[in-house]
Amino acid sequence: MLSKLLTLVRKELLDAARDKRSVMAGLYYAIGTPLVMCALFMVLIAQLASPEDLDIKISNADRAPDLVRYLGNQGINHSDSEDAAKIRLVISQDYPQQMAKAKSAQVTIIADNSDEKLQTSIRRLQAQLQAYSSEMGSLRLVARGIDPRVVRSLQINLEDQATPDSKGGMILGIAIFTMIYSVFISGMNLAIDTSAGERERNSLALLLSHPLSTRQLVLSKIIAVTLFAMLGLVLILLVSKLAYTLVPWQELGFSISISPQFMALMLAIGLPVALMAASMQLFVSFMAKTFKEAQSYLTMVLFVPLALSMAASYNIAPDALQWLPVSGQQQALMAFIKGREIPMLQLLVSSLATLALALALALGMERSLKSEKVIFGL
Amino acid sequence: MHPSQSANVSKAYLLSRCRLGAIGLFALLSAQALVLAPLAWAEATATGTETGDASCYVEGLADRLKCGFITVAENPDKPAGRQIDIHYAVLPAIKQSHPGEALLAIAGGPGQSAIDNAANFDRIFTKVRQQRDILLIDQRGTGRSHPLNCDSDPTLEPLALDDTALNIGAEAGRCLAKLDADVTQYGSLQALADFELVRRKLGYDKLHLYGISYGTRMAQLYMRRYPEHLASVTLDGVVPMQQSVLAIAGAIDRAFELLLRDCRETRACQAQFPALADDLTLVETRLAKAPNLSQSRDPLTGEPTPLTMTLGKFLGAIRMALYMPNTRALLPHAIHEAARENYQPILGLYALTLDGAGMAMGMHASVVCGEDMQRLTPALKARTRASRIGRDMLDGLGQTCAVWRVPAASADFAEPIASDLPTLVLSGELDPATPPSWGELALARLTHAKHFIAPHATHGVAFQSCGNNLVAQLVESASLEDLDPDCLSKDVRRSFYLNASTVETIPASAGKQTAAAAPAKEQP
Repeated sequence: MLSKLLTLVRKELLDAARDKRSVMAGLYYAIGTPLVMCALFMVLIAQLASPEDLDIKISNADRAPDLVRYLGNQGINHSDSEDAAKIRLVISQDYPQQMAKAKSAQVTIIADNSDEKLQTSIRRLQAQLQAYSSEMGSLRLVARGIDPRVVRSLQINLEDQATPDSKGGMILGIAIFTMIYSVFISGMNLAIDTSAGERERNSLALLLSHPLSTRQLVLSKIIAVTLFAMLGLVLILLVSKLAYTLVPWQELGFSISISPQFMALMLAIGLPVALMAASMQLFVSFMAKTFKEAQSYLTMVLFVPLALSMAASYNIAPDALQWLPVSGQQQALMAFIKGREIPMLQLLVSSLATLALALALALGMERSLKSEKVIFGL
Repeated sequence: MHPSQSANVSKAYLLSRCRLGAIGLFALLSAQALVLAPLAWAEATATGTETGDASCYVEGLADRLKCGFITVAENPDKPAGRQIDIHYAVLPAIKQSHPGEALLAIAGGPGQSAIDNAANFDRIFTKVRQQRDILLIDQRGTGRSHPLNCDSDPTLEPLALDDTALNIGAEAGRCLAKLDADVTQYGSLQALADFELVRRKLGYDKLHLYGISYGTRMAQLYMRRYPEHLASVTLDGVVPMQQSVLAIAGAIDRAFELLLRDCRETRACQAQFPALADDLTLVETRLAKAPNLSQSRDPLTGEPTPLTMTLGKFLGAIRMALYMPNTRALLPHAIHEAARENYQPILGLYALTLDGAGMAMGMHASVVCGEDMQRLTPALKARTRASRIGRDMLDGLGQTCAVWRVPAASADFAEPIASDLPTLVLSGELDPATPPSWGELALARLTHAKHFIAPHATHGVAFQSCGNNLVAQLVESASLEDLDPDCLSKDVRRSFYLNASTVETIPASAGKQTAAAAPAKEQP
């Protein structure tokens, strides 16, 4: 019994290995996604950060030399280059007059605040002008014999509960999403090939003519697809672990690291998901009449678990989602990586639901394979 | 009692006379926080165990820090005697790429808390913290580590008080009686052993040191005693081992002269205050004869209060203002106004010094009395007495140390440091505490050292210029090779205040607003 199953699984894997192109396509995803994502983040970080030496165009600099030197000490300098003109600081003509009379002197920042590349720099310039203004205000009070503390009536403290890991939660959410996605995508081609494909090659009927139970056949296919899905997961974890350390996250004020503990948890949680994904893909493929049809159906069906995962990763999910398959596991993984307590009950319920779904689909498949309509794709 | 009146008089007194000088660093007037407030020390969870670690928050910093303490014997020769807790805080690296390393930032004073200044250190060492922890230790006797604070007689009102009549010896005696400590155990060497224990507890193999002001003495002792645990050293505003801090009196005179020179050489300042040196001499002569008595308003509460402006308060306020470029910019105006018998700007500057920048004056005395007083040679004594504030400083310290009775450090304490560790020495040309010549002295037997002088900086080069980037570069490469001091020369001077409101040249139309003949309309 078991030896037959093993033989079947070996046959499936051998088949898969023969058609390298279509099967490897799924695994390419697992290797490529983290690399592409990290490359994108590197570009993004470089663009979003304000350059250490920020060049801007200052008009009427001669009206406020002290202010200009103050900004210079903070790395904000005047330049005539075209790039610098994207942020302009206009010092009003009557700046010295207003200052001398202890009135507010006007300075104007002219820039496009919708340009993501400028936003940090604009905020930085604003903050430095504010700092200069408050320093000057404090010294005006000192010059009048008043303690500047009198105008600081509130002292606002912020105690941020975040850890360096949880600050990167959004990015990690996306990373976990890509990993769960890889579980679905890595085995997909194999699932189609081994079901709809096998039927098109007319080898399915041949296989069934052997002294085998449908259950053994279904099980062997599920195991083969699951193995591929898990292989994809292992690959994406390994590549992620390497790639994510290369991105200078610290410039955004947090760190992202894929720890061995997280990898182990991801693999444990990923197994039921892989089983479910395999059963679902095989079930749908068998339902389809042709290879082509299977591909289109699967793409549509895949949308459901991925929407669940996506909703969980962006934290827009209603509470009910943490009990559902895929999204429940994803939230547990995110809780782990943010250093919070893993919601064990929810994880258990969603994992069991995932397994139950896999079982139901497997049984459904077993029954449908007893019908000639399905076997011959009529 | 309003808050400013409860300010610590003896502290203010000692401060204005014998401060080694960290007040400037620790930002009486940093750009955002013009005044220091007492620090809120919130612990997320109670530290119950002996070497407990917990997360905590400090004022001005939203990040969760790792805090803890070690318990040590106050006197290492009496291990069963009084136990004290040495507290530390770790600003965790954003991305921990060098878990075996940390930057230990050592505060000045002596007597300031490093942890209280966590936000300042975090601000200047942002780059270092991206990849390495920053370690702050409250040296024994300061901050949270069994602080030796001297609270003075609350009936003394700092504004009304005539400090020339104050009995410092009695004040010191009163403070000593209140302290639950053996004040002879709070010197630099005892503290050094604590630092090393903290390093070991936290498991860092190598430390990068950053010492500011008095903190440079701790850093140098570390270089002498535990060089194998150091990767690099930065001495910012250095007090060389060979130097008694009492030589500071000469540095202060020098900084006064540089202020007068800078005003003379700046066209707008020279035009506005053509006789600033005479103004200063005039006020000094006048106040030396008798303090100026007037009715004023409390700078904080606004309530009427008598103001006794003594020479000591006047010079102390100026001296403290010289620590930071922004308060320094107000000085010509303040001196000129004082010469016109308007002491409001000086009062404002004086009020800034009243909280003493969180100095633990008992610890301050333990260090200075044990490590510096005995080095007072007759020549240095004569020089110091001849300087502006030297006489008061020596008298005050003499009386305090007579009460404190700390045994003198051994003679080899004052040996220059011989080391081949990569060492960056930073000096500010305008420094009123540790002038560039002290930096040269520190180099004597350092074989891998570079001394950079920032022409426009005062005390604490890393806080005012690109000096902090040089430190980050040194920490990253553990080598002085590529350090380029050019950026220190960038013109970041602050313009002098020309009246109580502006630093920019006063246009004819605005400047003469009080004169009858002033034109009514402004220029467009």
